[in-house]
Amino acid sequence: MNDSINEKEIQKKVRREAFKRNWLLFRQSTLGMIGLGIVFFFFILAILQPILFLTGAWNEAVYHPVVGYEEIKVNLLVVECPDEYPTEKYESSNACPGDGEITQRQIYNPNINPEVGDIHVALLQPSPPSARHLLGTDSLGRDIFSQIMEGSQVAFLLGLLSAIIGVSISTILGTIAAFYGGRVDAYLMRQSDLVLMLPSLPLLFIISAFAELKIWHLAIVLGVIGGLGGSVITIKSQALQVKVKPFVDSARITGGSNMTILFSHILPNVAPLALLFMVFSVTGAIASESILSFLGLLNIEMSWGIMIYLSQTDGYIFSGMAYWWLILPAGLAVTFLAGGFYLVGRGLDDVFNPRLRKR
Amino acid sequence: MTKYIINRFLQLVLVFFVFLVSSYLLFNAMPGDAFTSLLLNPQLPPDAYEKTIALYGLDRPLSERVIKYVQNFFKGDFGFSYRYYPKSPIELIAERLPRTLMLFALVNIISFYTGFLVGKILAWRRGSKSETWLTLASVLSYTVFYPWFALLMLWFFGYKMGWFPIGKFLYPEKWYDAPFDSDVVFMMMIKFTVVVSIIQFIAYLFTRNIESLSLRRNARLLSLVLIFIGSYFYWNTGDALIKKPYAADISFHMILPTIVVTIVAFAGTALLTRTTMMEVLKEDYIQTARAKGLSQKRIRDRHAARTALLPVVTSFIFTIVTIIDGSVLTEQIFSWPGMGQLLLQAVLNEDIPVAMAAFSFVGIFALVAHFVADISYAYLDPRIRIKSQG
Amino acid sequence: MSKTVLKVENLNMHYETIAGNVSAVRDVSFELKEGESFGLVGESGCGKTSVAMSLLQLQADNAKISSGSIKLNDEELVTKTEKELRKIRWKGISIVFQGAMNAWNPVVKIGEQIREAIREHYPNNSKEENSEKIKKLFDIVGLEHSIMNRFPHELSGGMKQRAVIALALSCDPKVLIADEPTTALDVVIQDQILKEISKVQELLGLSLIYISHDIAVIAEMTSNMAVMYAGSIVEMGKTSEIFSNPRHAYTKLLLESTPSIVGEKKKLRSLDGEPPSLIGDIKGCTFSPRCPEPSDSCKNQSLEMGLIEAAPDHFVDQCCVECV
Repeated sequence: MNDSINEKEIQKKVRREAFKRNWLLFRQSTLGMIGLGIVFFFFILAILQPILFLTGAWNEAVYHPVVGYEEIKVNLLVVECPDEYPTEKYESSNACPGDGEITQRQIYNPNINPEVGDIHVALLQPSPPSARHLLGTDSLGRDIFSQIMEGSQVAFLLGLLSAIIGVSISTILGTIAAFYGGRVDAYLMRQSDLVLMLPSLPLLFIISAFAELKIWHLAIVLGVIGGLGGSVITIKSQALQVKVKPFVDSARITGGSNMTILFSHILPNVAPLALLFMVFSVTGAIASESILSFLGLLNIEMSWGIMIYLSQTDGYIFSGMAYWWLILPAGLAVTFLAGGFYLVGRGLDDVFNPRLRKR
Repeated sequence: MTKYIINRFLQLVLVFFVFLVSSYLLFNAMPGDAFTSLLLNPQLPPDAYEKTIALYGLDRPLSERVIKYVQNFFKGDFGFSYRYYPKSPIELIAERLPRTLMLFALVNIISFYTGFLVGKILAWRRGSKSETWLTLASVLSYTVFYPWFALLMLWFFGYKMGWFPIGKFLYPEKWYDAPFDSDVVFMMMIKFTVVVSIIQFIAYLFTRNIESLSLRRNARLLSLVLIFIGSYFYWNTGDALIKKPYAADISFHMILPTIVVTIVAFAGTALLTRTTMMEVLKEDYIQTARAKGLSQKRIRDRHAARTALLPVVTSFIFTIVTIIDGSVLTEQIFSWPGMGQLLLQAVLNEDIPVAMAAFSFVGIFALVAHFVADISYAYLDPRIRIKSQG
Repeated sequence: MSKTVLKVENLNMHYETIAGNVSAVRDVSFELKEGESFGLVGESGCGKTSVAMSLLQLQADNAKISSGSIKLNDEELVTKTEKELRKIRWKGISIVFQGAMNAWNPVVKIGEQIREAIREHYPNNSKEENSEKIKKLFDIVGLEHSIMNRFPHELSGGMKQRAVIALALSCDPKVLIADEPTTALDVVIQDQILKEISKVQELLGLSLIYISHDIAVIAEMTSNMAVMYAGSIVEMGKTSEIFSNPRHAYTKLLLESTPSIVGEKKKLRSLDGEPPSLIGDIKGCTFSPRCPEPSDSCKNQSLEMGLIEAAPDHFVDQCCVECV
């Protein structure tokens, strides 16, 4: 009894030591640390939003990413644009109306008919960044910063969920293929070949066009496609390398059952590679979600992809940097979070792949 | 080698059948049943109703329908498009496939080459501060949200700077009084490109046997110059002279998509090349090459890069599908009327026959690309080449 | 008396590492005459290979030659630029690396890899001339001509090593360095390769530097030798002289730790302890901590290391002379 407790404690200690060593190695990788910083930053963003709502710092009616609204009014001087340019006031047709000005034609409302020189009170949507709305509002008067936070929640949820599903599938299949070999192996490998060759984005188009996909569904679909693909092959070859190691033989000689060997010897040794795959597949999942949302194929209310989709369909992308807060934050968020996870993966690669280690 | 190719080819055929059947089942298993909604489609002309049922065997059990679908596939009979009515999907694909192929091939060759070059240089300058920054930049360009980035580039270079056209295949106003179809000109351009690449390859094969290095380099330069002069005369005589401005218009529309995709796609290759090359540089034969008195450039290109190429090509095989995914997006964003756009539009408009046909063809495309990459890998790695002989 | 081909004087080389500078080569001097074979012996990590790499100026990026001179036919190598050095490599000094398995690029044909070296140094040769030359080299080392068109993985270890020798000879070097050329080969092949090297050396009148940890091989292969310990030469002279009359305590231990087939049976001695750390400044005799009978001056490290001529043409580290 006592012995087994001791043994467990020793094992725990060994694990803690290994973790410490790996952490030290990871810290040496500059790029990995940068990645971890980025991921941590977005994680804070993701959990900050519910906290702000719960503590009442943010009013849901104003700051809710989907149904929030704030009326921001602005006084505009009604002017008339000249027919010929340049004039003293305007250099070209692009300069009219200038800042704080509006033409009669731009006020569509037939009920009011302001004269040139009047002050017109207009709703400012989208409104530029201000102290109240750090990243401004969109064309529906919703807070962009809150949307970014919501998008960050979606990205983490989807990315991690699909990565966990995918990696579980490929780890289980990969170890089974390595362990049993023969026909099982041949079948699984052909299956991976097939999935690898599937054009996955068109496939996703078709699935999402006919089925109304929610985040959960998408996570499962992405996880299954990712989990059946090439990662099975890589994990299998890793498991094969472990399988021929002496400690597996000795476990077998001392009477370990297949299950014991699989779970206590092979799986733990495949785990680092699986973790690596997981981190990399988060990158892919975030990108896939954003692309599908961007094309308007997903049935979700808010995500970074949707933000870009909206800014594109409303035509703001070709207005250039005049409405930068509609265009840049969401795109940069996708880019940086995907990049952050990728960099973490690179850092882990340095830890687990001794060939790349520095001297 | 032949045995290896045949083996791979048989595998490919098998995979293709599985792909066909499963893609049919996928369409069939869609909630709301794609085929039922197909009949409910208001755009469906009345006389097509009966034909559609007969074509897909919609009144038959599933197993028969699958077989029928595969048979139809090989007959090239996909029914007809609802959106572009009397045209059949196969006609639409025949029109659009060359455009996709051209852009895809061009972008891939350029981005692979750039990526390999950058990765090589990154590995060669390892450890320096600039290398870290360059790597970081490559990572960002690798993970950048592609549609967003492409739109920004389109805005900047097309709209703000006005250097390049904003998407599309050609300027319609230039083609009003054109005596021929744009596809004729485009096919001519493709033929020209293929012929030039073949000539260049032959020139490469011939000069390979020249022993003196400087002589070899000069011979290759000469062949390039000759090809250049040849193509100059080709485009300035007879038929090609009339088509030249139109061909130039199409090429002009290809520039921006090519640049944008290259910026995004090169990074993956560059990062991988960097890693593998850094491993290769630790190998003993690099030391041997240095001891032999070879120049740094020759060691880098001939010994380190040549071996590092292998895993890069392997991963390229794995990522070909991703690249096809990317080209679907590219076509959508740049309004390039190719297969990807066709597929996406068909999906969005629930034009099911076209969607199925396009999906199958994208699948074939992926398979063939996979196959080609596989073969070239075997050619590059003598270890595989020999093994398959024995 | 034949003329001196290679002259190394007071060579110092260190590696710059995070822990500090590691002096891998300390004050090494030796001479190599035309047609002579010179052995370098010592345990792993004593700086044998570092010396070889310094001769070719092929040391790793973090290695620096801090002082000394290497003269090949009175041409100074240490101050040469990379471009000038490239002309010397392989044509002046060539090397057979340890581990032939990895000396070949796996994706380039053997013939092409040799041809490449020849092309670099004789750019005006025709293709046929080069092929002829490779065939001749293969004849010398006993390989079939068809091996030219083979890839490295198709060859056995022994064949690869022979091909490596052919490669090393391809540009008619004046000095050939053999850096443990027989590691990773089985004993029979080892013997063949050693014979091959001696044969080639005699045939072409090469000057040979043979590097090994195996003192028995050195005895077989060389006429002159030096014993290295912790980066410095501790004893140098005629091979026969050193074997019959070793003066340094380390040499004696080395000899006593090697079994001999002929002669009376003796108990083999092993050497306790590990070589000293070479990080930072080193004072006094590096061997004294392991010396079985260190003298007082050795122990208190008052004497600096340096070779003195103990007998005609027989140099010993001055610290240890007193031990004798």
